[in-house]
Amino acid sequence: MTNVAKSGLEIDALNKSYGTVRALQNCSFEVKPGEVFGFVGSNGAGKTTAMRIMLGVLAADSGEVRWKGRPLDAEARSSVGYMPEERGLYPKMKVGEQLVYLARLHGMSHGDAVAAVDRWTDRLGVAARRGDAVMKLSLGNQQRVQLAAALAHDPAILVLDEPFSSLDPVAVDVMSAVLREKADAGVPVVFSSHQLELVERICDRVGIIRSGHMEAIGTVDELRVTEHPQWRLVFDGDVKALRAWMGTVKGVRVLSASEANTATVAAEAKDIVIFEDDGTRPGVEQEVLKGAVARGAVREYALVRPSLVDLFRHIVSAEGVAA
Amino acid sequence: MNAARVIRLVFAREFKARMLTKANIVSLAIMLVVILGGTITARIIMDRSDSVPTVHIALDAAGADLTPYLATTAEQAGVELELTTMSQADARAALDGTAPTLAPLPENAAEPVPAPADTPKLEAFVGGAASSPVVIVGDPNDTRLHEIIAGALQTRALDEVVHAMGGDLSQITEALAQAQPEFEAIGKTDEQKYGPAYGVAMGGTVLLLVTLMMSAQMIAMGVVEEKASRVVEILLATIRPTQLLAGKVLGVGAYGLFQVAFLGTALTSSLVALGLVDSIPINLGWTLAHLVLWFILGYTIFALLFGAFGSLVSRQEDIGAVTTPLTLLVIGPYYLAAFLIPMQPDSMLVRILSEFPLFAPFMMPMRVALGNVPAWEIGLAVALAVAAIPGVVWVAGRMYQRGVLHMGGRLKFGDALRKSA
Repeated sequence: MTNVAKSGLEIDALNKSYGTVRALQNCSFEVKPGEVFGFVGSNGAGKTTAMRIMLGVLAADSGEVRWKGRPLDAEARSSVGYMPEERGLYPKMKVGEQLVYLARLHGMSHGDAVAAVDRWTDRLGVAARRGDAVMKLSLGNQQRVQLAAALAHDPAILVLDEPFSSLDPVAVDVMSAVLREKADAGVPVVFSSHQLELVERICDRVGIIRSGHMEAIGTVDELRVTEHPQWRLVFDGDVKALRAWMGTVKGVRVLSASEANTATVAAEAKDIVIFEDDGTRPGVEQEVLKGAVARGAVREYALVRPSLVDLFRHIVSAEGVAA
Repeated sequence: MNAARVIRLVFAREFKARMLTKANIVSLAIMLVVILGGTITARIIMDRSDSVPTVHIALDAAGADLTPYLATTAEQAGVELELTTMSQADARAALDGTAPTLAPLPENAAEPVPAPADTPKLEAFVGGAASSPVVIVGDPNDTRLHEIIAGALQTRALDEVVHAMGGDLSQITEALAQAQPEFEAIGKTDEQKYGPAYGVAMGGTVLLLVTLMMSAQMIAMGVVEEKASRVVEILLATIRPTQLLAGKVLGVGAYGLFQVAFLGTALTSSLVALGLVDSIPINLGWTLAHLVLWFILGYTIFALLFGAFGSLVSRQEDIGAVTTPLTLLVIGPYYLAAFLIPMQPDSMLVRILSEFPLFAPFMMPMRVALGNVPAWEIGLAVALAVAAIPGVVWVAGRMYQRGVLHMGGRLKFGDALRKSA
């Protein structure tokens, strides 16, 4: 981390062990004001642990969480909107009463809390249930109430653990719009999710965590930049002969369907060849194109950019290599 | 945010959550009805036992000399006596129920007075000569009546014999009465030991035990409810565990105190209504003040411990396992207070034990209710309890902080104390 005063949320070299399990290893990232940050990783990679530490619910073994250049202390934490992975509200307490109570614990006056709760329950479509006990609501509606609890006190930072799980498509749209809106208002938004298409669509930047360590951070476009671009070639002719020839070209590796990026639909189709440019010989893709044209008709020829799913798989499957 | 404000918010929620439930309102209403009902029933029973029963006995002319003897035996039996003069045949008919008349006929009355409708029924007839008395009773099971009549007949027979011997029965009776010794007691009678003072002291201690256990259990359940519903995670993302525990202990404590005050007032009003207050030979106000004082001190200590131990488990079913040792810590001192103190109220063991913060909440009010406890002993016990509270807060805070976020299985006591999360 640099010494320049930061204006956003900094997670700096967090370490946390549970007995012999190292849940976080020098986990660092930063979320700027106005940025939606997607936090992805396989189950047990350390997302929830990192978020709990950010909220002070867990103590880190070492490392620090800073907000505007200063440690995120109890005072600053009351301005964080948090949605824990384990949803939790008082089951027998009424929705409205409960949201007002939680907003007041975050420092709002009673009047402001009531107004904010009215506004957010309206927005999230649970206004009609304000007088009902939480346990009478469906799971999806409980989730909306949970989000209202994270938003009602007008947080300066949003930390949401799996906010999209168990939401219907309409609710997903509302949730996405709300996150974008908060970010546009200058709030750093961090959320974790396994719905990678969604993360790709909503997030400004993404962090991929594996075994407690942040493996890749950047915009989705930045992450997609690879030294091993994949090309997709649709060929009309003797595909077998083409593959055999390509195997002899230096810097080219013909890929099997399972190695190819997900966007290379029907990679196993007979007339499609996917290959990887290993980056050792710039311009090798032109050589391949010329060779292919000499051997038959090239119907399509394109660079296949990896999706977040590809990046995720790549990083997660690198486990064995790294260890 | 301001800690006092947070604690006040948590306090208000807890108090409201306990108070404004249907179950609570119904149970308070039921207890009120029970106390009211008990008061009214007791009043009726007391009214009934206040009135001295009356026996109605008819004599014929020959039995008239039995009157003073009957008066004496009736007085000894504690009943009023009403005598009528009647012939044996009339009495038999009256006892049989065929003649509903029992109008006492004034001697030499010109005409019989018609019997009022509520005239009591004749119960026995005694007649005939002293040598061969005739006794007829209506109820063969009325042993008291039998004893009164038999006693009168025996005394009359005895009097006649004594008289014949030249003596005087009344002198003999008087002499016997004077020979009755006055006992000076060193120990206490059961009446003194287990009398009204003991009753009030026991009642107060039981009230203390019940409210204390109920409130402490409520704390443990509240802590586990927050863990089980996982709401604790958003709470602790905003406020400190100690603030949450403090607000909870205060909120439930205020509710417990309300119950003590509510039921205590109802019980006291009932005692006043029954006119029993004057008959209790102890200072009721002083005793009640001590109950409240020791409820507050005892509750603070036990509620914190119950909250801390409750935080070790994640499911309501497991509460019993962790709170059982604490329950023993409450019941033990209670038994000592209830049974050891009346037996040896001034023993060194009682005096020493009642100074310890875990024992004092039950033993001190019992001792105060039963008698003279030196002021310095009370003061020392209060001071020790107050001094122990910061220590209890520290231990409970540490355990709670660690335990409340530990999900899944039960957290070991030692692990909870070792290190904060």
